[in-house]
Amino acid sequence: MSNEEGEVQAEVASDQRLGRFERLPVRRIVLTLLTVTIVVAVGGGIFKTLTLTGVDHLGWTFWANLLVIGLALGSVYALIALGYTLVYGILRMINFAHGEIFMAGAFGSFFFAAAYAKSGFLNAHPWLALAILFLVAMGVSTGIAVLLERVAYRPLRNAPRLVPLITAIGASLFLQNSFQGFFGSQTRGYPRPSLLDGTIKLGRVSFDKIDPVVIATAIVVMIGLQFFVKRTKTGKAMRAVAQDREIASLMGIDVDRVVVTTFVLGGMLAGIAGVLYALTFGQVGATMGFLPGIAAFTAAVLGGIGSVPGAAIGGLILGVAESVGPYLLLSGINVPSPFELKGVITFSILVLVLIFRPGGILGTGEAEKV
Amino acid sequence: MARLLIRTAAWTGAIAGLVIVYLAMVGMIERLDTLPIIGTVGMDTILIFVPAAVGGWVVTRPRVVAGERRTATPGAGVALGAAEGLAAGAVVELGVVLVSAMGIETVRQVFSAVSPSLIEILRFHMASVPAALVLLVATTVVGALGGLLSALPRSVRGPVATGAAAILVVALLRQVIAPAFDQMKIERDWLYSPITLGLTWIGGLVMFVLAAATVRLRVGHRLATILVPSRYPSAAPPEPEGLTAEADGEGPPAEGRDAFGAGISRRGIAIIAWCVIAVIVGVLPYLVGPVVSRILGTVGIFLLLGLGLNIVVGFAGLLDLGYVAFFAVGAYFTAILTGGQRVTFTGYEAPTFGLHLSFYVALPIVVAVAAFVGLVIGAPVLRLRGDYLAIVTLGFGEIARVIFGSTWAQNLFGGSLGMSSITAAELPGVNVNFQSDPRHFYFLVLVFCLLAVFVSWRLQGSRVGRAWNAMREDEQVADAMGISTTRFKLLAFAMGGAIGSIGGALFAVSLGSLTIASFQILVSITALSVIILGGLGSIPGVVVGALVLIGLPGLLTQFADYRLLIYGAVLIAIMLLRPQGLVPNVRVSRELREDERSQDQWAKHLLEQDAVDAPEPTGGALT
Amino acid sequence: MKRRSLLVVIGAISVMALVASACSNDSSSTGGSTDSASAGAVDCSTAPGCVTVAAGEPIQIGTLLSITGDTKNLGLDSQYGATLALDYLDGTFDGTQGQVAGHDVTMVNEDDGCSADGGQKGATTLAANPQIVGVIGTSCSSASLGVADKILGEKGIVTISPSATNPALTTEGTHQPYYFRTAHNDRIQAAVVSDFALQKLSATTGATIHDESPYTQGLTDGFKANFEAGGGQITSEDAIGSADKDFKSLLTRIAQNAPSVIYAPDFNPACALIAKQKATTSGLENTTLLGSDGCSDATYTDIAGPAADGVYLSGPDLTAFSGGDFYKSEFVPAYVDQYGSQPLSVFHAHAFDAMNILVNAIEATAVTNDDGSLTINRVALRDAVQNTTDYQGVIGTLTCTPAGDCATSVTIGVYKVPDVGFLDPAAKPVFTETKTLDQVK
Repeated sequence: MSNEEGEVQAEVASDQRLGRFERLPVRRIVLTLLTVTIVVAVGGGIFKTLTLTGVDHLGWTFWANLLVIGLALGSVYALIALGYTLVYGILRMINFAHGEIFMAGAFGSFFFAAAYAKSGFLNAHPWLALAILFLVAMGVSTGIAVLLERVAYRPLRNAPRLVPLITAIGASLFLQNSFQGFFGSQTRGYPRPSLLDGTIKLGRVSFDKIDPVVIATAIVVMIGLQFFVKRTKTGKAMRAVAQDREIASLMGIDVDRVVVTTFVLGGMLAGIAGVLYALTFGQVGATMGFLPGIAAFTAAVLGGIGSVPGAAIGGLILGVAESVGPYLLLSGINVPSPFELKGVITFSILVLVLIFRPGGILGTGEAEKV
Repeated sequence: MARLLIRTAAWTGAIAGLVIVYLAMVGMIERLDTLPIIGTVGMDTILIFVPAAVGGWVVTRPRVVAGERRTATPGAGVALGAAEGLAAGAVVELGVVLVSAMGIETVRQVFSAVSPSLIEILRFHMASVPAALVLLVATTVVGALGGLLSALPRSVRGPVATGAAAILVVALLRQVIAPAFDQMKIERDWLYSPITLGLTWIGGLVMFVLAAATVRLRVGHRLATILVPSRYPSAAPPEPEGLTAEADGEGPPAEGRDAFGAGISRRGIAIIAWCVIAVIVGVLPYLVGPVVSRILGTVGIFLLLGLGLNIVVGFAGLLDLGYVAFFAVGAYFTAILTGGQRVTFTGYEAPTFGLHLSFYVALPIVVAVAAFVGLVIGAPVLRLRGDYLAIVTLGFGEIARVIFGSTWAQNLFGGSLGMSSITAAELPGVNVNFQSDPRHFYFLVLVFCLLAVFVSWRLQGSRVGRAWNAMREDEQVADAMGISTTRFKLLAFAMGGAIGSIGGALFAVSLGSLTIASFQILVSITALSVIILGGLGSIPGVVVGALVLIGLPGLLTQFADYRLLIYGAVLIAIMLLRPQGLVPNVRVSRELREDERSQDQWAKHLLEQDAVDAPEPTGGALT
Repeated sequence: MKRRSLLVVIGAISVMALVASACSNDSSSTGGSTDSASAGAVDCSTAPGCVTVAAGEPIQIGTLLSITGDTKNLGLDSQYGATLALDYLDGTFDGTQGQVAGHDVTMVNEDDGCSADGGQKGATTLAANPQIVGVIGTSCSSASLGVADKILGEKGIVTISPSATNPALTTEGTHQPYYFRTAHNDRIQAAVVSDFALQKLSATTGATIHDESPYTQGLTDGFKANFEAGGGQITSEDAIGSADKDFKSLLTRIAQNAPSVIYAPDFNPACALIAKQKATTSGLENTTLLGSDGCSDATYTDIAGPAADGVYLSGPDLTAFSGGDFYKSEFVPAYVDQYGSQPLSVFHAHAFDAMNILVNAIEATAVTNDDGSLTINRVALRDAVQNTTDYQGVIGTLTCTPAGDCATSVTIGVYKVPDVGFLDPAAKPVFTETKTLDQVK
């Protein structure tokens, strides 16, 4: 024992000896250099892109179109990110399997959608059919979310945070491959009612009819959620549990029930997002949840995980960054095929935001105080 | 009381039945129909009955009632197990009846695995009524057996369960064991039937008895005391778990016991035993043949990845989900430094920057590059912890994949067409080919794995290792103690990256060509699973994890379609049942088993922090 | 502590010593692994030696196809085609196999995983079996190129691929001597698509979209070479991720240049989603979308729906198969009958021909010994496959070149959705062209 203490002291001493190097603000220097580089690179890239002339010139209609595309995609991300953020806020746990819950909802409603399309019901009563599809998707997603919570997460509620995260990764793999086993590995076409088929033109900007529906839904859901969390009794209970689970339970709040409610809410959001995503891209498959799940996770962290408006903002930023970013930054500096580098752009934005605001855009300060 | 028990049994049975239905619907039962186990019994039958037996076992486990531990009598065990089995069978039969009633083709339009042949299997190729009776009787019997086993004393239960598991394992590992028998010119038709390719009944019985005896005589524990005398002082430690006992069971048990009697010093015996193991490891590829050697080579590559990631996650406690970045750096830089050509539409072309170095000259450069990449990734994320770190590193992995496969870097790394004619790491003067002979490659990997194990092991006990330990347990405290968390975090990223890149370099050597498809995020998740399964921070754990998660799927090709499904299930099960892993690191497992109290302190700490940071003092975590 | 590390060092040294001894053992035993004792009249002394099939034992032929995962339809389709070839050895599709040189044939099926590591895995397994005479595979070029072709070639195992189309596989300098294919070389398909765009559509400008698989970039690079040589101009070459879903921004960018054609020979669902989203992108109204056989399965129309009507997809011209009648009236019905579905992909006939070429070569080179056993010299077998001349296969007349291409003259058809071969085997292509390898870039 004394031996160990001695070594620790020796360690401290040796650190003091190395002090001069240590005292150099390495991190600050790196960060400053990084900032300058980024500002120059990004600014230069944008400048060069916007000053392209001749056949390469990209006019405002182009950017406006990309912006609309990005907003539509971002709204779907935002919807999924809300589910992430909700669970994180209450349990401080990243439900990595949320993407699969989203997939399950979309897949569940697919069989109804396909049957309705076949029987003509989808086009005869589109609103009724859509309502049923949303209900089915929400039901399936909620069912799986609650089951997951009961079987995989509840026993680990007091475990260190690494444990439930790994469980969630396992659940993600398990669900994805179970669905592949159940329903086959091929991607299926998801029918769209003719009401929502086609495009709308506003001047020279055009977008799919489904896009405003997605954006509007995202806004309504976000406001509703914010109201629910801030104003209702259950929402207050949720916030209490988020603050201190133990005290909340002493105050008479049924923690288990609140957690289940959270997963129910998250599942419902995932179901809504699933149907909208399936309608937007017209397809479902067992692997469809993985990438949007990661994107939404990124969006939630970007906006400040645990924050409802943060998730929405993060989602929109991510969507726009994915569509506009590659072209705005890379077109001017002659990078071939900017589209495939969109992942690099979005993740770079995430890293940058976290460097300067470790808690995310609307997060509560720093992720960790040193 | 009795009613309560019966109700529990019925519920457990229903769950077991649902598990069987799940296995059927996901397609596993039909797919594994052709996988022989013992006699005429195939894997499909095992899958139908094992859940029922496990259910019976679970239902009969001792339970605590009003503070008193109650153990079931064997009679009660049989009764409870039978009830459970009956319930399980009823659920399955209900499913079969339901599907038949709705029409197989109708159900199949949704559940693609439901096919006429699946129903045939679940009906044991009989008419529906006798089939139902057989199913119900069989699940009842199997459930009762499970219950009985669970109620028997430990000295009987352990050996029997291990024996049963041994039959399954030996049957599934035919691909390894059969060539080894052939190589040693041992007759093996008594063990594996040449007709069904599964175990013969006699072979199964022998394996059962052998495994049961191994556990009964505590061979595994004895071996452990021989191999690591310092860890097992004279007092009798608890009986080792089934799996470690089996893994250790390969050595020569009789010799060990005799040696004890002869009175040679324990250390001497340990050295002899280790030499025996070294010899076995040394001749292994020639015993098991090239196919299994190739799998062992892959195990070695993932062992390197696991060891590297273990430094980052296990030692330093930094969750890295983008470890594939280092794997890719290792592979692609080896390719361009050793004369790899990029594939083009018309043939091969030299990359814009390429050297023709020997692999052994290139490797240090590759490792240095990877260590530098580790620093570059580590530097900006130093202040992030836990969940934030996870998503950011995940992003770095994705960035690496996109860039290596991009059109932008195509002239260097080949883009989506990839690289080819990468060096085979020839050794001057020695006639070996690491690329075309997996047995040779095994030794190359082995050398680097030993090296990485050695480095990890020395690091763990060193000043650096203890600093990581302190940092993982509590960063603030570590910082307050004067440990430079910045420096040690960066060191962890660099060291981890360096070891991982060796795995990538060897991967490039073994294949000779690269395409970006090999560098998916799945590699990161697999490497993480390897260290989680084995036990975070535990070096023997990484070895076991790699053998189980990479070796077994490589051998059990029939399970290929379900590999990720099983990975997922294993991750969940490990976290729920044994979060410290199969071969836990004592120190980390203490942390993972942290009780509620310390977790509360952690949460409280967070809240205090929130209270300081939050703009509104009343704002909780959910805003 | 010190002693333990000493132990580790000792262990390491003993292992190294073993490596050395094992390696020296091995080098003396290569070549002897194949049976040369009962060779009789056949000379088996030179590597890679011979395969001897004992009397009454079956001849073993391996398959190395992509039979699991995302691309399993591609591999299973070929596996079914190869199996049907064995079935037809006796002249009828009756579910019972015929014989080769008086022996039954068994297929040893391995998975190529459609990747380099998958190819290595499967090829190692097949190469370790000294009884494997030849292999039908691989499904994917990435599983072959520098991996499976090398591993199997070093063991002298003839490999014939039904669907690996990458040009590098049969390019001088990168071709492995035991590698052949009945699949068309991408150079031909790319040239035909380019001809179609230039001649039939009078295209002047074009954009290409490939994904991260080597197959798609091989086609787009080939298209570019031919299109530019024919006077066309490539306005952009883009890449996507195969899991991407939203291509609207990419298509909007391409629309800025308003090219005459977009060539996107990707896989589903990306291929179908591009078609669907292209239909609603403003600025692309006068742009024609082209794809290739990667898009050609039922998923395509399922996802893209009516939006895909008018898209052109290239692929082997099923109606131009010289065995046209046989293909339509016997082969496909037998396929449907035995496997319960319409052909899963377009390479079953290529696999059928590949198996027949292999079997014919075995018939030609196998020597039956006095005890009824069979000796097949691997070099002779390879030569026999390479000497295949004017073989009347289902897909056309096949002549194998020293560089490994057996389909030297290939008819590629361009179909207009929805009248495509994968939906209706009787569909007529709107454009069809026969090219030989010498004619293309």
